[in-house]
Amino acid sequence: MAFCHNRLIEGGACFSHVLKHLGPMIFWSIAIAVTAIACAALFYAARGRTVNVEGSELAPENNHFRQILAGIESDLATGKLDADQAAAAKAELARDVLRAKNENQPRVSGDLSQGMLFGGLAAIAVMTIGLYAVLGSPDLPAQPLAERPEARAQTITLDDAVAQIEARLAQTPDDARGWTVIAPAYVEQGRFADAANAYRKVIELEGANPNLLTGLAEALLLEANGAGSAEAMTLLQTAADADPAHVQSRLYLAAELMRQEDYDAAADYWQQTIDLAQGEEPWLPAARQGLAVAQADGVNEAADAQEEMIRGMVESLSARLDTSGGSAEEWTQLVQSHIVLGDLDAAQAAYDRAVAAYPAAFDRGELDTLALQAGLTLNKGTP
Amino acid sequence: MSIELGHFSLILAFAISVVSAVGGLFLWRRGERLAMAMGQSAILQFVLVAVAFLALVQAFVTSDFSLKLAAANSHSLKPLIFKISGVWGNHEGSMLLWILILVLFGALVAAFSRRLPADLTNLVLGTQSLLTAAFAGFTLLTSNPFERLVPAPIEGNDLNPILQDIGLAIHPPLLYAGYVGFSICFSFAIAALISGRIDQTWARWVRPWTMLSWIFLTLGMAMGSYWAYYELGWGGWWFWDPVENASFMPWLAGTALLHSALVMEKRNALKIWTIFLSIITFSLSLLGTFLVRSGILTSVHTFASDPTRGLVILSILAVLIGGAFLLFAIRSPSLKQGGLFAPISREGALILNNLFLATAVGAVLVGTLYPLVLDAIAGVSISVGAPFFNFTFSALMAPLLLILPFGPLLPWKRADMVAAAQRLTGAAGLAVFLTILISALGGVSISLVPIGLLLGFWVALGSFAELVERSKIGRIPVRESVRRLVGLPRTIWSTALGHFGLGVTVLGIVAVTAWETEAVTTLNPGETVELSGYSIHFDSFEQVPGPNYAAEVGVFSVTAPGGGVSIAEAERRIYVASGTPTTEASILTYGFSQLYLQLGEPLTDTHVVRVWHKPYILLIWIGCLIMSGAGVLSLTDRRLRFGAPQGAKRKVLEAAE
Repeated sequence: MAFCHNRLIEGGACFSHVLKHLGPMIFWSIAIAVTAIACAALFYAARGRTVNVEGSELAPENNHFRQILAGIESDLATGKLDADQAAAAKAELARDVLRAKNENQPRVSGDLSQGMLFGGLAAIAVMTIGLYAVLGSPDLPAQPLAERPEARAQTITLDDAVAQIEARLAQTPDDARGWTVIAPAYVEQGRFADAANAYRKVIELEGANPNLLTGLAEALLLEANGAGSAEAMTLLQTAADADPAHVQSRLYLAAELMRQEDYDAAADYWQQTIDLAQGEEPWLPAARQGLAVAQADGVNEAADAQEEMIRGMVESLSARLDTSGGSAEEWTQLVQSHIVLGDLDAAQAAYDRAVAAYPAAFDRGELDTLALQAGLTLNKGTP
Repeated sequence: MSIELGHFSLILAFAISVVSAVGGLFLWRRGERLAMAMGQSAILQFVLVAVAFLALVQAFVTSDFSLKLAAANSHSLKPLIFKISGVWGNHEGSMLLWILILVLFGALVAAFSRRLPADLTNLVLGTQSLLTAAFAGFTLLTSNPFERLVPAPIEGNDLNPILQDIGLAIHPPLLYAGYVGFSICFSFAIAALISGRIDQTWARWVRPWTMLSWIFLTLGMAMGSYWAYYELGWGGWWFWDPVENASFMPWLAGTALLHSALVMEKRNALKIWTIFLSIITFSLSLLGTFLVRSGILTSVHTFASDPTRGLVILSILAVLIGGAFLLFAIRSPSLKQGGLFAPISREGALILNNLFLATAVGAVLVGTLYPLVLDAIAGVSISVGAPFFNFTFSALMAPLLLILPFGPLLPWKRADMVAAAQRLTGAAGLAVFLTILISALGGVSISLVPIGLLLGFWVALGSFAELVERSKIGRIPVRESVRRLVGLPRTIWSTALGHFGLGVTVLGIVAVTAWETEAVTTLNPGETVELSGYSIHFDSFEQVPGPNYAAEVGVFSVTAPGGGVSIAEAERRIYVASGTPTTEASILTYGFSQLYLQLGEPLTDTHVVRVWHKPYILLIWIGCLIMSGAGVLSLTDRRLRFGAPQGAKRKVLEAAE
């Protein structure tokens, strides 16, 4: 095996390589051996010693009748049956014996022929190997977790990974790739100042591009807890200007302008992002809503309309539950809606009616939790 | 490689079962040699499926996620026992467990029924192999547990947290053993229909298997009910959930079969009905296992189901069950009825028992399937809930319980009802007295409760009437009575015990239904809630990490009405892999009663706590254990049973006295 002489391949790797090639061979040898043993076992069972068939047909019944007779005798002897009962039982037994004799016809016809036996065994072997060839994957080795090297690598936590990269960056601070990798990791860890610092480093080493500028702006915005700094706005502006198709920076700009109540400018950016969208983006609905709100000068008409709709639904649900009853889930929905609309008195009233409809806590499910959470009175005030 | 060898073993077992099914069912007249091969085949099937099953277990234990099933249902951090039980906590693995138990029963028949005539062996093991072939084929082709995954993921999806419980290690194997055990009765019934060999010896062979399956099914159901009780966190012990019904129907039918096989074994009567019940019982078992997987029903038990699978399963069921009934319809007219008896006799009482049980099966079946059928035909979706089942079922069970104590007291063939009633006056009086006493003490108003109690006591006490009668307690010296008691056949003891267990269960059900109390409240550590005289004090709240979950633990000290403080720890767990929460209720036992404490959802500054007091709830499961124990006792009695008929002259003699 020439490939094993390659010194770059370690001993273990070489061994597993060999196994990978031999695996299917070993597997098929075992599989064929097992099939052969099973067929041989069946063959010898059928060819093996046979009991004298003659006259054995009535044997089980005869044995059965004899045991019953013995049972009657012993019960008679121990006094569990009196003489009359025993006589009746014996008479019935005699009738049964006669009936069994009359019914008994030869049940055996012929014997298992050699041809049938071999036919069956061949069918077993062909079916097994054929079906396995279709369904199985003989070349796929077992991969218990303990024996998989990559499993150990995966268990490294984010903290460990960050610490490792930091150690490397301490020695080679000009490694732009290291800073690029670590910056989003810092964001993930909530270390926004470090993240901003890392982005600055990359920009310093590699020059600015819209993605890096947006990343830095994001870190700055997050560090200031949403209260966007002027610097972040400038960075986003630069990124957006540099690339007319850069979506991320425009989304941040629009959101930030909304916060500053500059609705005209915000609407402009929302519109730009919507124009850039392909139609499948996860942020698209948010952008559309943002545009609508910005065009209405900050009034969320959609939300108002939604609340109006909820009110309408709640009223019809409430009416329906009162007149014709409903499931526990529907009552929960009603109570929940009242709570969302801020009408706690109505929620309490609805809850009380729900309890009347479902007196056992078991049936009410999550309703009680909801009520407790909203501060409603349970158990009619007395636990 | 072990996974692939397991896969290969299963395929080999499938091929053997196919050939055996064809051989056994078509060549059954070929006698002894074939019978030897059939026996060997049954044992081989078991060994091979066991190898396949062990390969799966090994893959789960070593977290081999190149096995798709392990990746989908296991997790490397799961404790060992749940890695093992996780093998059958899913559709594919549970199918393999089902097949394993099926071939185990086949192998047991082959090993223990050497004295069976060759033609019967061929037919029984042939039918058994047919079942194995059908379900192994289904498993291999539509839900193969040995499917591999390339590349293998690093971590598994984890098992549904509700299933990560010791209950999963016990409940399905017991229940499946019960379901599958009835396959033996089914195979014997098919064999009887094909060969025409149907007599007392047949009943003698079948009855131990019926009893064994019934014991497993009883234990499996009791375990399932107790598991639902402590794990689902609501303190309910029976939900009339479609899947529970699906396990209850074979139990009712199996109970009927147990009694009718008794008549057949002892009196050679009710033959056709017994054959019919054998087929029905196993058909219901199949329905119980597979209706859930067909995608028709959805419930806690539903595994992910897909339409093709459902269709295949329904076709298998239709062919097997339909085929069996077709065979029954063709062959049963040519079978001989035997054993005549008067309406009032032990046989008559057992027929009454069968009638009520069969009607109960029908009621549960209708309640379970009617909504489905209505939905399919009319597009109207209704839910048949607990009220329907509670009402219908109690209405059917009340008369059955009422006549139950009479049964064992009636002699075979013809009986004197008045004499039997006279012997039960003691039990009846005592039952009435106890009911009035309890009702008076508990201040029970006019309701169904006293009737329930009365029935429970009546059955429990009445079941001992035969023992009292046979030992002649009070009429002869005590020592003599004890000697007679000890000398009684174990079957008589087992009858008494079994019926007593039923009475105990009834009492438990009545008590917990009537007197359960509950409280739902918010508590902070340091606060106390009172319920039914128990005082529950919230001591502390902690957060504790578990192996693959994080737990919130509420520690409570509970003061019983009679003094005595116990500590209860109720948990709420969040499983890491799935993020699903589960509640681990804390259950304190006081005699036969329990206090059930559940730590609910955390609120901003307090905790939801639910407390239930469940009086005498343990009697429900203790009754089931007693029933199962009675079954075991009956199995140990290998004495041949025969029913001594009551001679017709006897009555004349008595009149002359």
